Amino acid sequence: MIAGSPQVILRVSHLTKTYRGIGAVRAASFSVWPGEVLGLIGPNGSGKTTLFGCLGGVLPYDTGRVETFTAAGTPAIFYLPDAITPWPEQTVEWSLTFARRYFRASNEMTPEWLERLGLQNILRKRIRNLSKGQRKRALLAIGLITPHPILLLDEPFDGLDLRQTREVAQLLRSVAAGGRTLFLSIHQISEADRVCDRFVLLSEGRVCGEGTLEELAARVVHTPRGQTQTLEDVFLALT
Amino acid sequence: MRSRRGVDTFTCLVRKEWRELMASRSWWVMLLLIGPLVGVSFISAVRTYGELSGVNGTAAGVGEAFSPLIGIWAPTFSACELAAAFLLPFVAIRLVAGDRLSGALLLELQQPFPAFARVLAKATVLMGGWLIASAAPMLGVLLWWIYGGSIHVPELLTVLTGHVLNAGLAMALAAAAATITEHPSTAAIVTLTVTVGGWIINFAAAVNGGIWERLAHYTPTAMVGEFQHGLVRLEIVLVASALTCAGLGLAAIWTRLGQTSSRRAIESAVLLASTTIVIVACTFVRPSWDTSEARLNSFALVDQRRLESLDVPLRLEAHLAPEDPRRADLERNAISKLRRTVRDFDIRYVSETTTGLFEQTREQYGQIHYQLGSRTGVSRATTVEGVLNEIYTLAEIAPDRDGYEEDVFRGRPLAATPRGAAPLFYMGWPALVAVVALIARGRSA
Repeated sequence: MIAGSPQVILRVSHLTKTYRGIGAVRAASFSVWPGEVLGLIGPNGSGKTTLFGCLGGVLPYDTGRVETFTAAGTPAIFYLPDAITPWPEQTVEWSLTFARRYFRASNEMTPEWLERLGLQNILRKRIRNLSKGQRKRALLAIGLITPHPILLLDEPFDGLDLRQTREVAQLLRSVAAGGRTLFLSIHQISEADRVCDRFVLLSEGRVCGEGTLEELAARVVHTPRGQTQTLEDVFLALT
Repeated sequence: MRSRRGVDTFTCLVRKEWRELMASRSWWVMLLLIGPLVGVSFISAVRTYGELSGVNGTAAGVGEAFSPLIGIWAPTFSACELAAAFLLPFVAIRLVAGDRLSGALLLELQQPFPAFARVLAKATVLMGGWLIASAAPMLGVLLWWIYGGSIHVPELLTVLTGHVLNAGLAMALAAAAATITEHPSTAAIVTLTVTVGGWIINFAAAVNGGIWERLAHYTPTAMVGEFQHGLVRLEIVLVASALTCAGLGLAAIWTRLGQTSSRRAIESAVLLASTTIVIVACTFVRPSWDTSEARLNSFALVDQRRLESLDVPLRLEAHLAPEDPRRADLERNAISKLRRTVRDFDIRYVSETTTGLFEQTREQYGQIHYQLGSRTGVSRATTVEGVLNEIYTLAEIAPDRDGYEEDVFRGRPLAATPRGAAPLFYMGWPALVAVVALIARGRSA
């Protein structure tokens, strides 16, 4: 929990989503606090993308409740899916301008952001011609430009090299420091450890744990004396 | 404030869709092909029209052959019918399904905005694209005017309206198919199946008559045919508009990915049921307008006035099989006009076979039974004169040939050759489209 946070900004209660009788997300419950970077950790196929789709309103869920506590009348959550190529025939520059106008964002893509995302040299390129890493950075820029107080990023580091991963992680930390709430779905646990304040552990659609690394580590019963628990250890122990 | 925001979002989407259309190869291919398609029809039509006109014009009585509506506009604009059936659906499917395939829809759906308005933005742009494609047949109109040909604006506008309605139907169908099906190729198959289904209905109507014949009135082919004949029936306009709205509505329902499939299915069923009710209600709408200069869909003014004054029901029973050519003659020459003119009119076709070949020996076969109020009569004539004569006899209206002469359409003969049309449609148009495409696509990159 972020110190001094007055109340949750997003509460998910018993959210369930099934595909033809098979549970993709099973009674998931957790809370998100304003201004935090929350990591949704789970292996491939654990239901992270499905959960994000449900929270983003682009996928129907069967039962459960999603409550947001933001200014009334404005959409609270923006979900940026992984592996999409929106408006493939348009340029990065046009896509950013469109996103800003369409979502009525007051944010400008500042030269600093462009530099940190490494977009200056690809602004005139069509999205379909971008490499995987370039496309991911362009998508992140679109997500960051939106005005929604809660930003869900599906696999934000996928396709980025080590240097870019660090740069993007720093950028996301600075965005959260500015007051925006980030919820990141990550399957590479080492990357999650680097950027997130708290974690929600997901395995086979079930939430197996929620909290800071220390809080989660405290739930692990068999900890060898004097040994520090890593997120990987905690995840393996709890799932 | 809220409506202002809605307008801003709609404008933003229209601009985006316009850029997507400019970037779509399918639209440029349609634009490229429609020129030569129009060219073939226009050149052939002008040549035939010129040959039939000769050099000394024509005489009274063969007016219809020299009406630009039938001789030039219908064949020239028939290229639009071909494009609407086989090219436009692919442009629409690309524009509608592209967002879902690329993932752009997942982003766009997160801005609260009515789904129908979202689909309407696409439809608006597609219609804009279609009107640009209609510049090809309009070039034909320009050439015809340069040759010295006559242009009767109402009938030209009627033909245009028919093709716009037809394009709207094709777009709506393609949009619905693109959102309901998983993949654009499936959507294309569905769209073409419906198109072929329309032709099958027309075929079944010609063979079986009855309910098929009634259904066939609402197929795109039949609808365009009426407009190409200079006839605007409010019933057809309303039915086409209702079907277009239903198609766009279905697309809007299935665009909402955040709703469960069962809810979307229920909403679709409600929409289709409501559309059916609206269409059935539309079939009771009677007003129609004959915009043709030659009054192709109307009786002579003298006859029209007499028939309009009939204050008792007129019932006909025609013993003619669906494939009997006399039935087609009767329908085209007299019945279609009687439906427009007589306030209380109905006809029933009676036959035991589809061809009528083996019914000839039946005593009643070929007869048309008339009932005007309590008076009855029988005739075998299928010409306008024969039908009117029988009705006038029953109504005790004395034959009077006064007033017919000034009502006869003398025709608009034009002994012209299609000079300049071939280079324009076969070279100029494709070259222009190619150059503009290169510039426009380059600009959007």
